[in-house]
Parts: sequence; structure tokens; C-alpha cells
Amino acid sequence: MNLVRAELERLLARRFTRVLLVFMFAAFLVTFLTMVSSTHTPTPAELAQAEQALASDRINAEEWYRSCVSLNGGEEARTTSRVIERCGPDTRSASVANYLSQVFVFSTVIRPLVYFLAAFLALFGFLVGASYVGAELTSGGMTNLLLWRPRRDVVLGTKLATLLGTVLAVSVLVTAGYVGAFWGLANSAGMPGTVSRGFWISLGLLCVRAIGLGLLFTALGFGIATLGRHTAAALGVIAGYLVVWEVGARIVLAVTQSPRSELLMLSTYIAAWMNGRVSIYPSQCFDGACGSAYDITFGHAAVAFGLLLAVCVGGAFVNFRRRDLT
Amino acid sequence: MAAVIDIGGLRKTYRSLRRGERLALDGFDMVVEAGQVHGFLGPNGSGKTTTLRTLLGLVRPDAGTMSLLGRPVPDALPEIAGRVGAIVESPQFFGNFTGRRTLRLLATAGGVARTRVDEVLELVGLRDRGDDRVKSYSLGMKQRLAVASALLKAPELLILDEPANGLDPAGIRDIRDLMRQLAEGGVTVLVSSHILAEIELICDSMTIISRGRRVLAGPVDEVLARYDKGEFKVRVFDHKRAAALIAESGLPVTMAEDHFVVGDLADPAWITETLAAHQLWVAELTPLAPDLETVFLELTGTAPEPGRRLQVDESVLPPAGPPRQIELDEPTPDLTVEPTVEQALS
Repeated sequence: MNLVRAELERLLARRFTRVLLVFMFAAFLVTFLTMVSSTHTPTPAELAQAEQALASDRINAEEWYRSCVSLNGGEEARTTSRVIERCGPDTRSASVANYLSQVFVFSTVIRPLVYFLAAFLALFGFLVGASYVGAELTSGGMTNLLLWRPRRDVVLGTKLATLLGTVLAVSVLVTAGYVGAFWGLANSAGMPGTVSRGFWISLGLLCVRAIGLGLLFTALGFGIATLGRHTAAALGVIAGYLVVWEVGARIVLAVTQSPRSELLMLSTYIAAWMNGRVSIYPSQCFDGACGSAYDITFGHAAVAFGLLLAVCVGGAFVNFRRRDLT
Repeated sequence: MAAVIDIGGLRKTYRSLRRGERLALDGFDMVVEAGQVHGFLGPNGSGKTTTLRTLLGLVRPDAGTMSLLGRPVPDALPEIAGRVGAIVESPQFFGNFTGRRTLRLLATAGGVARTRVDEVLELVGLRDRGDDRVKSYSLGMKQRLAVASALLKAPELLILDEPANGLDPAGIRDIRDLMRQLAEGGVTVLVSSHILAEIELICDSMTIISRGRRVLAGPVDEVLARYDKGEFKVRVFDHKRAAALIAESGLPVTMAEDHFVVGDLADPAWITETLAAHQLWVAELTPLAPDLETVFLELTGTAPEPGRRLQVDESVLPPAGPPRQIELDEPTPDLTVEPTVEQALS
């Protein structure tokens, strides 16, 4: 318990942690103010105009949809993938909110905003995780600590647990504040949109996954910096990965038409994690004309993340236990 | 007396892809008895820091046995870590933390009362600078902070690697007094230093290491006495005639420009008596007792020679002995000067 307290104090006292927190809040504030500046409460005239446009479009869309459905198997086939793929979703569920411009509609905008939040939480976690342990290893702070607490597993494990706990707490608070702020904005200078119980559950799960992604990157930053004994090692690995693999290898694999190359990209699993599912369509094939599309699901992403964590964090623990601290 | 530190046959080889293998410790032995201030000496790169790091569980040995406070290490380190204070090389601290916060974090991690922080800051002379950021500290002040961190636990055994590094003369004296004071209070101190005059002043015993092997171990005064050749510097008006008179008695005499040196002399009064009998009046009679620096340079083969630039790792390689395994219940061996000394000197 003493070690946890000391580690927590050390983590929160670090200037880098504080600077990153301020930076994250600043980014969110800018995002929020941008939304504030581009929204207004719709006037009765705007609402009436939107309702009129919606009614008109709905008539046209329903007409087109009905003919499309009848051409593709009739009413019985409405829920088949064939109909959904060819006719698109049933547009009868559209609402007036979709016909208002310069109005912040919570139900339609919050999901992309949570994606942005997830990216920031991941960046924050990665940098804090990497610098926290990296600075300890390069400064000799870790050596000092091991003179007091010689069990390396316990020391490294406590550091990681304290780090993850802190990032989790910060993420929960930030996420709640972030979503709450936009909900407040929608109610005061925009529109909530259609917010059913299902919507809130779905949004809650999305936020949980965003926080999970942040924790994943926190652990990865910590693990890579421990393996590389330096903060810069983690930054180098992530930059190298993005340039060499996500960009370079993606181009090479596309040129060589390697099958299912998306499976080798971390970004695919991140997208699947956040969306719940990602469908990959073979290149140069449309409408199922050649090959078949395949899905990467939330479960696949969880397995991929687990493997990545086992390699980076597990490897860091094994390496740290055996390493000579010279 | 019980051995507080007992190292037998310690071996460590560093391996790296770029530089290959480097043997740092080659069957090294060391024993430090309770309540002593023990000097640990050796040329640069001889294995001192590796020994201390290995002892403290920071480096994994390839072979050998070690015990601290009677417990085998590294296995028992978690149990005894609270009784051992240590600084290894010049520890670095976070520059943005104050000295007090740095110590407070260590105290929290180690379960030491925070009141102890102020006590050790006072002890190392940082009381009024404890709330300054570490990055504003001079090298000597950082060193004082490091010593404070080692003292925080009120240890039974204090291991200090180059504690005087960067200290001003007053700081060196403070640390020296502190070590003596701690030893008088029953704390065993192992100190590695290149300031041999300090070691000579404060240490009860010492171990000299060269290229990973023990060259010599024993009480400081016994080691110095062993290398005392009974030499005296004699200055008289007619030093050539005086030297001839002394030489007649069979004692070895070495001539210098304005004096001569007599060796193998047990009683210096004999010089004054003999020369006075021939109307030669002694102007200076100085014992040429060996100092630790001279002994160290001779034993490690690092004495400067005209026209030769000595490289690191060119110190004496003592003959290898069989690895010594010391059991816990085995009586502590006598710390006597080993026969290898003569071999090293020859």
C-alpha cells in the first residue's frame, strides 16, 4: 500500500503528466467551443421548414425504397442483406434533426466526438505510460527504488497498476465531463435528437470501449518503454510502426494484392473495437462480384489486443526481472 | 566478529552484441565485519560498482555466493532491504522534485516515518535547501541528497559508492565524520572511494580489487605496517660521509642529492647516536612510512611511469584462486594479508 501511495504521488507530481492533462483539457475545450460557435437553437420557422423538407423527402424516399424492395424480393426480403445492401437502410426512421443546419444534434454528432475522445485518451495514456517508466529507468529512480523494494515484479507491477488505475480514473472523469458537456450544449443551444434507452446503452458501451482503448495504449507505452529502457523507445516504436507498417507495408501489400492484409494492421482492430464490427471488402471487387467480404469483430479485436499486451507487457516483465541494472 | 558482508567466488560477465563479452568479476571474495568502516578500493573498471550492484540485487551474478547481514542474497534481499542503506555511483533524481519530496517518496515507498526526512536532511547539511528543486543542486548537494536517501532507513549496513564524489572539502569532512559517527553507533559501513587519504583516515579494514579479483584484504594499519620498510630520510651537513658510516653497519642506504635514505631500521635513535659519535649532527630524521596511495598504486600496478599512458584494464591481474564457498555457520575467516600480495609486489 505504501508503494502504491508513493507511486501515485510520483505519477501525479510529474510535470509531464500535468502538462499532458492540461493539453488534453485544452483540446477538448477547443472542440467544445468549436461546437458552441457552430450551433444555435433552431427557430420555429427553421423547425417548420425542416419538417416540411423531411415530409417531402420521406415521400420520395419511401417511393424509391418500395420499388427497390419489390425489385429485390418484395416485403418478405426487407431485412435480408441483399435488400439492405442494394436499397440502403429504411429511411423512414429519419428525423427532423437531420434537416437542420448549424444545429448541434447530440444523437447524431456524439459518436464521432467519442471517437475523437478515444484517440486522445489513447495518446494521453501512451505518452504518460511511456514517460512514467522511461524517465524512471533513465534517471536511476528505478534503481533507487529497488534498493528499497528489491522485488522487481512487485515494483514494476505496482507502477503499472497505479498507472492504469490513474489513467482509468482520469478517463472516466474526462469522458463523463466530455459527454455531459455536449449533452448540456445540445439542450441549451442545439437539439438532443432521438435519444432512446438503446441509444444511451450504445453510447455508454462506446465510451467504455474508448476508455478501454486508452488503457490498452497506456499499457503498451509502459511495456515498450520498459523493454527499450527509455521513453524515446516507445515513441520510436509507435512512429516506426505507423510509417513502416501502417503506411509502407499497406502500400506494398496492396500492390502485391496480398489476401486479407487488413488482418495484419492494428488500425483494423482498433476500428473493430470501437465500431463493434468492421467489414473488409476485397479490393477490386464490388457487390460481392468476386471473393467475399469478411468481418473483423469486437471479439477478434479483443484477442488481437490480448496478444499484443502479452508480447509487450508480458515481455517487459520477463525482461525486467532478468535485466542487469547497470 | 560476525561477517556483515560475505562474498565468495563471485563471477560476472557482461555480454553485449556490439562489444562481446567482458569479464567484470572473476572469483571475487570479500568479507566485511560488523561495526567496521571497510574501504573498497580498485582502479577504474576493476569491478567495484559491479560488486556493489550485484550485492544489492541490481546485477545478476554468474556464479558465487553472497550474504548480507547473515542472510543469503539476492534471495533474502526483500527481507533485509530495510536494514541496508546504499548509494551506487552517483544516483540521479528527478530534477523537478524538491530534495524533500524526493526523500518523502522514498520514505513512503519504504514505510519509513516522514519525520525521518527532516532528520537526514539536517544530517547531510541540506536542511535549508530541502525545498529547492533537485535540478538547482550542485553535484555535491546531489551527492549529499544521495547519502541522505541511504540514511533514511537508519540502516545497520551502509554501502556507499564514491560518496565524496563532487563534494567540497567541508562536505568530504562531513561525510567522513558521519561515517565514523555511524560506525561508533554500531553501523557497518562499506565505502568505495578513490580518495585514498580519506580511506586511510576513516577505514578500519579494506579490500583492494583489480580486474575482478581480490588483490588484498585486511586491516588498514596492518597492511600499511606490512609495507613499512623501516625507511628513514636522513639529512646531515656531510651526508656522503654519514651515508658511508651507516652503510658500514650493513643497512641499505640510498643516496639522494642532499640526503640519504636508510632502510630496515628498527630504531631511529641508532642513527642519531651513530652519527653523533662521529661529530655528524642530524638536521632531519623523517620516517618514510608508506601511505595507502603508494601501497594501492604498487599493488594494482597503476603507479605512473614516465613515458607510459596506463589504460583502463591494464592494472595488475592477480592470480586466480579457487572459488571460496562460505557457509552461513562457518566461522568468519581471519582477515589477513594474503600471500598474493607478495606476488603482486614482485
